[in-house]
Amino acid sequence: MKPGTPADALSLSEGRSRTRTGTRPPKGLRSAGFLMSLIPVVTFFLIWEAVSRANGLFHWFNPLFLPAPTAILLDGWALAQKGLIIQSVVASTLRITVGFLTGCSAAVLCGILMSRSRTVETWLGPIFNMLGPIPALALLPIFIIWFGIGEFPKILLIAWTTFIPVLAYTLDGFKSVPPTLIRSALSLGASGRHIFTRVMLPSALPNIFVGANVSLGLSFSSLIVSEMMGAKSGLGYIIVDARNYFKMSNMFVAIVLIGLEFSLFAFLLKILEKRLLVWRTNGVRTAVDTGKE
Amino acid sequence: MSLVVAGVGKSYGGRVVLKDVSFQVGPHEFVCILGHSGCGKSTLLNLIAGFIQPDQGEILVDGVPVRGPDKSRGVVFQDHALFPWYTVLQNVEFGPSVRGLPKGEVRAQAFRYLRMVGLEAYADDYPHQLSGGMKQRIGIARALANEPDILLMDEPFGALDILTREMMQRELLRIWLELKTMVLFVTHSIGEAVYLADKILVLKNGRLAAEYLLDEPRPRSAAHPRLLELRADIERLLLEEEDPGEGGNLVHETRDSGRRVVPF
Repeated sequence: MKPGTPADALSLSEGRSRTRTGTRPPKGLRSAGFLMSLIPVVTFFLIWEAVSRANGLFHWFNPLFLPAPTAILLDGWALAQKGLIIQSVVASTLRITVGFLTGCSAAVLCGILMSRSRTVETWLGPIFNMLGPIPALALLPIFIIWFGIGEFPKILLIAWTTFIPVLAYTLDGFKSVPPTLIRSALSLGASGRHIFTRVMLPSALPNIFVGANVSLGLSFSSLIVSEMMGAKSGLGYIIVDARNYFKMSNMFVAIVLIGLEFSLFAFLLKILEKRLLVWRTNGVRTAVDTGKE
Repeated sequence: MSLVVAGVGKSYGGRVVLKDVSFQVGPHEFVCILGHSGCGKSTLLNLIAGFIQPDQGEILVDGVPVRGPDKSRGVVFQDHALFPWYTVLQNVEFGPSVRGLPKGEVRAQAFRYLRMVGLEAYADDYPHQLSGGMKQRIGIARALANEPDILLMDEPFGALDILTREMMQRELLRIWLELKTMVLFVTHSIGEAVYLADKILVLKNGRLAAEYLLDEPRPRSAAHPRLLELRADIERLLLEEEDPGEGGNLVHETRDSGRRVVPF
């Protein structure tokens, strides 16, 4: 984060350094950077609290519209006591996990089939090109009519939202494998299967992760919207339910939880990405010399 | 092990890249293919590697026509083409491992060639952590780990700075003297060709313009008068205008026994 240089530019750097330790900023500095990034966030909540409390005194607008962060925390605590939060978080987490993983795996599988077989590509390509631009949320009412208000239409919607971007990025990844890498593998005696598993897939993997990262945000939108329409549980349901009873602070509780849940998922995805793309993270780590020893 | 290129021609969309190229290479020979950029030398190498097929003529390895890439013909690319997601060791292991050798043997083989290029200490690094010269040495080790009969090198040192380049030439020569693999080395540097080759094939506009044999002992000094003369000769040939007219059929049997210019 600190040296604002894109990872790709960094990994292109020619020079090498044997010393891996020492090129990273020391631990103290990194946590200092983290603290620095907290200050604006804390300030944001302090101002919110102040405005909300001042509004309680001076009645600039209906105090119900903007509950103070402390009030939201208290309401959140009350909801948690009733078990509603755990129940909603579990329901949402299950939906997003199943939907997102299904969408990603289907997209990668489809991408593999499309890149391996000309026939599959000529048949599926145009269809996905036609369906892809349609905002997935537009399909939700149809899904509900077809499949009812159970879990299936929600998961299907999330999976579909995830599917299209991941597929596009996967295909792009397979198409942009450098030809000399394939040539070099061939001249080393690699079979078609080797080319695929040892050249095409690892080469496309960074792209697949870009697709997954893009999709994650979209699939969260789908999760929330699908829970707002015809659901009896979940974070999206808390929001509509709270709207019906004009419980603003409950809405904010749900919104905060959605934000936290999204951050958690993005974090998990980042970890997985780092694990699988060691060769890339390593590049950033060794290429960045912050000069702060 | 012998390589025969017989009347090979190749065109791309009506543009003739190679025309009627014929030559032979014996076992253990170090051959440099020299020419301007765009003269078809890389195309020729790609044909021998089997990445592309000739329009006319044939390429025979031990009498068998080349139909596609094969592990018996190792290739070293100008941009090294190392797999960025593999460590240095995994890159060198690639050939032996896809061949299905047992794990221990794969490792031993890889280390043998890593040692040969002097980079066994970097086995666990990733390619992007290495300098250009080191990457290319790994590229050479990777090709050699498959124990190819022919090593095809496509301007392998073209992207390196001049000092690294000279160091790599010496290194390559040392390895070649140890293994005596047949080498076809594409370059646009006359100096490089003269320093390295047993035989220099000069390509000009897709045709084989000349073939020089060198029996100068190695290591060669760039200042050697006979080599200087040869360099000047090749330079003249490469800079010469198109269409030498009637003189095109000249055969110089020059005073130096070691070199000969064959018909255009």
